[in-house]
Amino acid sequence: MTGALALATGSLTPASPVVAQVTAVEASLLAFVVLTALATALARDVLAAVIVFGAYSLGMAALYTFYRAPDVALTEAAISAGVTTVLLLLTLAKTTRIDHDSVFESVNLPAASAAGFLFAGLLLTMGDIPAIGSPDAPVWSNPDVTQWYLTETYAQTHVENTVMAVLAAFRGFDTFGEAIVVFAGGIAALIVLHREVFA
Amino acid sequence: MSDAVDDTDMTDTVTDPGTDDSFDDAAADRDGSESELPPHRAAPRSGRLDSENRQGTPYTESQVIMPTVKVIAPFAFTFGLFITFHGGGSPGGGFQGGAIMAAVVFMIAFAFGIESTRDWLANTVVVALAVGGALAFAGIGLVPVALGGAFLQYDLLPIPILDPVKYGMEGVEIVGIAPIVSGVLMGLFFLLARGFNSEGDGFGNGSLDEDGSIDEDGSIDETGTLEGDAADAGGDR
Repeated sequence: MTGALALATGSLTPASPVVAQVTAVEASLLAFVVLTALATALARDVLAAVIVFGAYSLGMAALYTFYRAPDVALTEAAISAGVTTVLLLLTLAKTTRIDHDSVFESVNLPAASAAGFLFAGLLLTMGDIPAIGSPDAPVWSNPDVTQWYLTETYAQTHVENTVMAVLAAFRGFDTFGEAIVVFAGGIAALIVLHREVFA
Repeated sequence: MSDAVDDTDMTDTVTDPGTDDSFDDAAADRDGSESELPPHRAAPRSGRLDSENRQGTPYTESQVIMPTVKVIAPFAFTFGLFITFHGGGSPGGGFQGGAIMAAVVFMIAFAFGIESTRDWLANTVVVALAVGGALAFAGIGLVPVALGGAFLQYDLLPIPILDPVKYGMEGVEIVGIAPIVSGVLMGLFFLLARGFNSEGDGFGNGSLDEDGSIDEDGSIDETGTLEGDAADAGGDR
């Protein structure tokens, strides 16, 4: 909570000048993501909301790439920006689209205030979160988990990509379960839609 | 010559509605906004989600989208293959690569029509991808068990010359996860494009129909042989 107080009073320690570390690219990406998220929530037309949501996912993918999480960025770009948008558009094509006069939804005050309180509560915890890319962050400097995987991946699995090594080798049984869940999702869609064939 | 004729027609049709629009707007203002929809809006349709006559998704041939997809699709598919095959050395893997390859099929379907893409990509391909991937993943996991090890113990895999751990993992990604993801995503796409089956030609043989719709059941049942045959022919594909 000392960090939160420091943020609130504006007296950041000189060792971690958070604001000074934000580059122009990062700031514009963050602004893009926040604006598209707000537009998704407030758009009156569902088709507009779906399209803006795809743009939001693309911005998130670029942000993940910026933060050097390319595996997550690829998944976000392919699944969220691509496949989910296409499936939502297909669903919209099968429903009735209502013509609206206003572009934006009228703001529901209880929902907006609840979201505002949640946002403020999350903002209070920001001070205790280590800086992005900090070598002292527990999730990075933990010798038993992260550092162990980083040092042992090539020795034990002979591949360079630690993410894939964790998914396919160290946690292979979990990944098998996830793949079967994806398969079962397809079967469940067949059952729900009363079909016997996919195509 | 035909181009010139078309151009004059275009200009005529462009100039004419300029005068007509004012009349239409005035008429729409007088009648209320129900009479004329702007051209970018879909026409109002019935709210029933299960009626078979509106199961088809709208499709228009675009001279811009089709050549673009023709150019982009091979590269995007190669990118998906690259992401899948290079999961061990670079970001990505079977999940991401399979999703990209399925997205290529979505792209082709949006450019050339979902129904023709459905005919081109047979149901057997989609099912073989999903089921074959699941069986391959389970098989690679169970081979070490048969040899006395644990599930997915890659170093027991009988792979000659090559490194069994590395290529066992790559095998799981390439022939296991990527086909499952791409097959299931393509299947979801085609399923959603076709929509809910209210004819009862799925499983259950119409028992749901008898519970659901009340009045029109008799007429449907009397003509049910033709519809049933058509549905079976579609189902065998």
